Amino acid sequence: MHRFVAHRFVSSLITMALASIVVFLSIHLLPGDPVVMVLGEQAGADPMAVARVRAELGLDLPLPTQFVRWASAVLHGDLGHSLRSGEPVVAELARRIPRSLEIIFGGLVAAVVFGIPLGTIAARDRGRVSGLIASIVAIAGFSAPVFVSGIILVLIFSLWLGLLPSSGYVALDDDPLTHFACLVLPCVAIGINFMGVVARMTRSSLIDTLSKDYVRMARAKGLTRGQAMTRHALPNALVPVIAIVGIRAGNLLGGTVIVEALFDWPGLSSLLVSACFARDYPVMQGCLLSIFAIFIVISLLIDIAQSIVDPRVRTGTK
Amino acid sequence: MAPQPQTTVARVRRSNAAVLTAATALGFLAALSVSAPILIAADPLAINPSHVLASPDLVHPLGTDELGRDLLARVVYGGRVSLTVAAAAVLIAGTLGVISGVAIAFFSPRLESAMMRIIDVLVSLPEIFVAIVVLAFLGGSFWALIGTIGVLYFPQFARVAYGMARSIRARDHVTAAVSLGAGRLWLIRREILPNMRSVIAVQASFTFSFAMLLEAGLSFLGLGVHPPTPSWGQMIGTLKDYIFINPWPVLVPSIVLFAVVLSINVLGDWLQDRLNPELRR
Repeated sequence: MHRFVAHRFVSSLITMALASIVVFLSIHLLPGDPVVMVLGEQAGADPMAVARVRAELGLDLPLPTQFVRWASAVLHGDLGHSLRSGEPVVAELARRIPRSLEIIFGGLVAAVVFGIPLGTIAARDRGRVSGLIASIVAIAGFSAPVFVSGIILVLIFSLWLGLLPSSGYVALDDDPLTHFACLVLPCVAIGINFMGVVARMTRSSLIDTLSKDYVRMARAKGLTRGQAMTRHALPNALVPVIAIVGIRAGNLLGGTVIVEALFDWPGLSSLLVSACFARDYPVMQGCLLSIFAIFIVISLLIDIAQSIVDPRVRTGTK
Repeated sequence: MAPQPQTTVARVRRSNAAVLTAATALGFLAALSVSAPILIAADPLAINPSHVLASPDLVHPLGTDELGRDLLARVVYGGRVSLTVAAAAVLIAGTLGVISGVAIAFFSPRLESAMMRIIDVLVSLPEIFVAIVVLAFLGGSFWALIGTIGVLYFPQFARVAYGMARSIRARDHVTAAVSLGAGRLWLIRREILPNMRSVIAVQASFTFSFAMLLEAGLSFLGLGVHPPTPSWGQMIGTLKDYIFINPWPVLVPSIVLFAVVLSINVLGDWLQDRLNPELRR
């Protein structure tokens, strides 16, 4: 167990190192010049100023040297300053990341809480109307683009029922109740799509498991269908579902891009989008680096969780 | 717990009805997109300031948008953009993916594991973030969208093609062909490519819906085709701001996009069941 965790940890570090190289290079590969961003219009007029800013930003050094300087600053917790506001990027990220994680976590909970029962019904009542309806709800959820489900949620819960705010953000410290009211629709919107994935996976995995001998054995020894399902079939059927939740959790992170734009939620993704439009390179790099880090940490945690549930994962036997 | 014979038949019939509906809907939409200039009289770009955000009436069967433009015309013309971008992106992704997957499997035995590791990292990248950064700098345009989305989805095809190429090569009749002196190019042309057709078709159908959603998402954020050219995602992104004035206009492109993605997924599932029953889980 410890060896497996150590091994996965090291390979996560390697992936993170590769990702940081990609993030660092992105600023050099893409068209556009940060110096022009700092100086604005006068960049063309004054070659001396351009050279000075270039030296200040360290852009006159060879690429590998720049990378080492940048990477060591990052390791010391310094991601530079925003070209727009002059604020430290780390401070901005520290404010934004928890807000995005809130949405992801809420979406994940919504997806699992609705998706697993839905998939179970679809598998149990296969060939009956209830099962068909569950399957249709699952594929509809799976196919609904985040902004379509989001808009329909706003229509129902804000416009018609007037229960929840349609968009916006209120800090938890200012008004906890409004904070969570604002959080509900983004979480459900991002979760609906994922719910479809979870339900479909649960259904197919459960159908597979229900035909196994040990389930028949459980029924033969006198358990009811429900007992055989919950005690024997479901736990085994959920192993691949956990795996898919882990693999797709990254997609949830991708979904925050749309959800944050739709609901005016000031999270990490909306920061990245605005930084890209403004050519704010340090903020952009900081966002991308955080996104990769979140992504890698999630998949590490999922792998460890899976190795606890299913020992075959860590010993490598299939 | 095996299903009764008649319920199985009923199930098949029901699922065929769903498939038929999906195929009809897609076919209808494709026909409409192709023949748009002949069938649709309204100009998708014609502005009418005195008739904005209208619900359907006789002149505008689907209502009008925030500038008084005809929504029916805009949805149809937007569909041309959305469908073309997705189709071209799938074509690029599929071609690049199959070529690189087969090439890795056949021509670089030493680099094999390293190449596939790189492909694995590429597959796990969250596409939309990469796309945002690239498009923000390239500037959104029709061709930039196609290129970016196509390149982003090629690793998935490469992985599938690589796996298939490896497994087909291990089959007995292929070994026999090799022992009779078959060359690698002959093998690829006569054995590998024809045998992976169905798997690639299924992958293409799913990638098509992903590509469509990605295009819509990027256009929603304002990174897609430039206005006034319509695309579904871009229409939704603009019209969502008027939802409290009239919720109807934003629903039009939303529902169309949803219906199309749903239809493609239904068809993809069916294709999966038909072509690769052994992959069904």
